[in-house]
Amino acid sequence: MTEGSAVESLETRKTLWQVLTADKYIKWFLSLPLLVVLSSFMFYPLFYCLYMSFHEYVLRAPPLFLGAENYRLVLHDPVFWQAVGRTFYVLVVCIAVELSLGMGIALLLNREFGGQNTVRGLCLLPLLISPLAMSLMWNYMLHVQFGIVNQVLVWLGFERVEWISNPEIAIYSIMFISIWQWTPFSIFVLLAGLRGLPKDALEAARVDGASGWFTFRKLTLPMLMPLIIIIILLRTMWLIRIFDPLYGTTRGGCGTEMLDWFIYRISFVFFDIGKGSALAIFSLYVTIVLCAILYRRLIKALGAAR
Amino acid sequence: MRRVMFWIAIAIILVVFLFPIAWVYVTSLKSPEDIFRAEKLAFLPTFYNYKYIVTVRPSLLEFRNTLIVSIASTALVMAVSLPAAYSFARFNTGGGHLLFITISTRMFPPVVAAIPFFFLFRNAALLDTHLGLILLYLYFNMSFATFLLYGFFREIPEELEHAAMVDGYGRLSIFRKIIFPLIKPGAAITTVFCLVWAWNEFLFAFLFTRRIARTLAVGLAVFWGSIEIQWGPMAALMGLAILPTLAAAWFMQRFIIRGLTFGAVKGQ
Repeated sequence: MTEGSAVESLETRKTLWQVLTADKYIKWFLSLPLLVVLSSFMFYPLFYCLYMSFHEYVLRAPPLFLGAENYRLVLHDPVFWQAVGRTFYVLVVCIAVELSLGMGIALLLNREFGGQNTVRGLCLLPLLISPLAMSLMWNYMLHVQFGIVNQVLVWLGFERVEWISNPEIAIYSIMFISIWQWTPFSIFVLLAGLRGLPKDALEAARVDGASGWFTFRKLTLPMLMPLIIIIILLRTMWLIRIFDPLYGTTRGGCGTEMLDWFIYRISFVFFDIGKGSALAIFSLYVTIVLCAILYRRLIKALGAAR
Repeated sequence: MRRVMFWIAIAIILVVFLFPIAWVYVTSLKSPEDIFRAEKLAFLPTFYNYKYIVTVRPSLLEFRNTLIVSIASTALVMAVSLPAAYSFARFNTGGGHLLFITISTRMFPPVVAAIPFFFLFRNAALLDTHLGLILLYLYFNMSFATFLLYGFFREIPEELEHAAMVDGYGRLSIFRKIIFPLIKPGAAITTVFCLVWAWNEFLFAFLFTRRIARTLAVGLAVFWGSIEIQWGPMAALMGLAILPTLAAAWFMQRFIIRGLTFGAVKGQ
């Protein structure tokens, strides 16, 4: 789109082209479309929510100014704090499990073996499959009566487990679904990192007689640090926004309500836009603070790795 | 002995990753009675469920909608993200802050972003249209695409461009002859990711489409009715809906091993 118009101006007005391609301007010229989309798609909902969060607005009635009442209500709501606590619990467990599993499998797949491309291609599949479809499928497979997982348990002589309908277990089922889907992301980021590591440093360590574990801890892990931070950063962003696995399984029931589902319930089931907006601003604030810390660490790690 | 252990590990990983996907197809071939009988491993395969999603509740339109929306939105995302990512990577535009702001669009709860967009779209008559969904997916995929491409552009050594400039190449020909061939694998990975995520996206499609522009993900959710869940037809539609993404995974597998480093690992 931009290139097309650029070519035109090249033919007609050479001076304008030269101005636009000067180092000073071209960088803004190139990022202009993004900035336009960004500002329209980001600032509009942001300011709308900021405005609404100070109003009582339940659909149909006009917004009524409330001051900080919405925030007060939200912050005194135990259900809200439960949802926040649960979100962070899921966040920590999922990312920790995904990273350790991902690292283990990446190390395994990093070797040369027959059929390596096939195996790697198959490992990629869960990542690209519709999260909603897969959570529905897991819901079916984990069903108490006709789920295959419980059937296998029965064959092995165990009791049936209420994976989805037991409030004690349901949250772990959802974590499992999320981990199943997203471990390949960790695997492939780390695998790409392992492939890109300088071979001579690892070779030198081996010649010096360093043990495998020592090399991994002192050489491989520090060099992969930027990638690990990137995984944590992206997964944090995505996990706080977790929705599909909940919709496909418990629909927020059975002690699995997380932050985004809570916001969804307030604003799309109760149509309390004011309170929903206050929640959104809070949620955005938490996410940005968390990610800004990670992002700063990433920039630092990138500087160290270079 | 080590080899045996290695292959056992690989086998376990593959079974865990692939079993649910295989089970989609197994379930889709079961008759309505067999769906509820997990203990029956040998059953008579039937195409009842596939006939159901073609005749009783036609889902062909959903395929068309999803295809239109994902291709159009991906084209837009790439048109916006490619130049911007290049600008961020080469000129450090905005000193890193701009990149963070770009990523932060995904930090806003989409559930809530949906509210203002809902009113805006209602006034602009964009509800339940392809265009509306395409615009939302542009917003949805843009930040990650820019971040991913930023990494790929960073892997291209700057000296290459300087050398070409000294040789008297213009910016346009540098872009065409040097940058583009080098960014092609990275751009391919990004394109596939955008395509697949637009294909799979549920929340926005669920809130912004009703009947005309309904996508596959929403079509799947519809099988979860107020009375019962129609597992059979759902599995059949699932099986068809995930076919293109399986193909995408196969296509991507060749590029992705070296690809997903976000520019964090240099020097190969």
